[in-house]
Amino acid sequence: MIDIHVDEDACNGCGLCVKDCPMHVYELQDSTAVPVKAGDCMGCLSCHEICPTQALEHRGVYPSRRHYIDLRVCEMLKRVI
Amino acid sequence: MSEGTIEHMKESFHTDTIYRSEDVPLGCIPPPEELEDTLHGLMKLNGLIIRSLEEIAGRGANAVTYRAGKKFGHEVAKYFRKIDNVEEALEELSHILHGQYTFEAWKPADRASYVIQENGTTFIYLVFHDCIVRQTLRRNGQEQGGPLCQTLFGYVVGAIEEITGKRAKLEIVHTGPNACLKKLILM
Ligand code: SF4
Ligand code: SF4
Repeated sequence: MIDIHVDEDACNGCGLCVKDCPMHVYELQDSTAVPVKAGDCMGCLSCHEICPTQALEHRGVYPSRRHYIDLRVCEMLKRVI
Repeated sequence: MSEGTIEHMKESFHTDTIYRSEDVPLGCIPPPEELEDTLHGLMKLNGLIIRSLEEIAGRGANAVTYRAGKKFGHEVAKYFRKIDNVEEALEELSHILHGQYTFEAWKPADRASYVIQENGTTFIYLVFHDCIVRQTLRRNGQEQGGPLCQTLFGYVVGAIEEITGKRAKLEIVHTGPNACLKKLILM
């Protein structure tokens, strides 16, 4: 079961996650996204990609393989961050 | 390029490794962690082929790649055990494709069964997790859902048809960075 948490302080109520989620997991309530149907989330993480404030957190998602990430870029980033 | 440079270049290809004709490779050479460059090269190549195909064939590109995938699916699944039941066939296929195209049957929380009937069609939702196609497209900054995805569609449809002996169709519902939702329509 996937558990979704929205950082209420970060969320700016843009509603992009509401529009983008194919399973209609979110609803806007008082200008904040609320995951009203977290049980229908299939873990695509489109909402993470679209959320401008990085307000979302999913627990229990299967992390798919990401071999396309360039290891050299990661190494460089690790040195900077 | 001077002769010295060429000699220097040739030097890097000289090893003392002995190959005998009876030698059977017992491992992956080079080790998998050294395959990164090859993998990126392959992803770039596939992306370029698909981009060119789209430029030349336009919307017809989807039909070409779908057909290629379907043929491949039929070919590969010829050797699988025949199963009448679609759910069992999907389980078998998911096991076989694990790692390349890891997928599972999926249903919204309020549905009792994985086989859903809606507006006169019968379908099963499939969530694709690991996917070589998605990785290739993201590696190249290309959109998901185009001709390269059609190859995978064709492949799954071809394999399911071959295993179950029934006709099927696959539709994209949603593409995401971590998983994609598809509908396997049973006909
Ligand atoms: S991960 Fe996908 S299905 Fe889940 S809430 Fe986000 S957009 Fe919706
Ligand atoms: S996309 Fe992000 S900021 Fe916008 S409503 Fe959803 S959670 Fe809030």
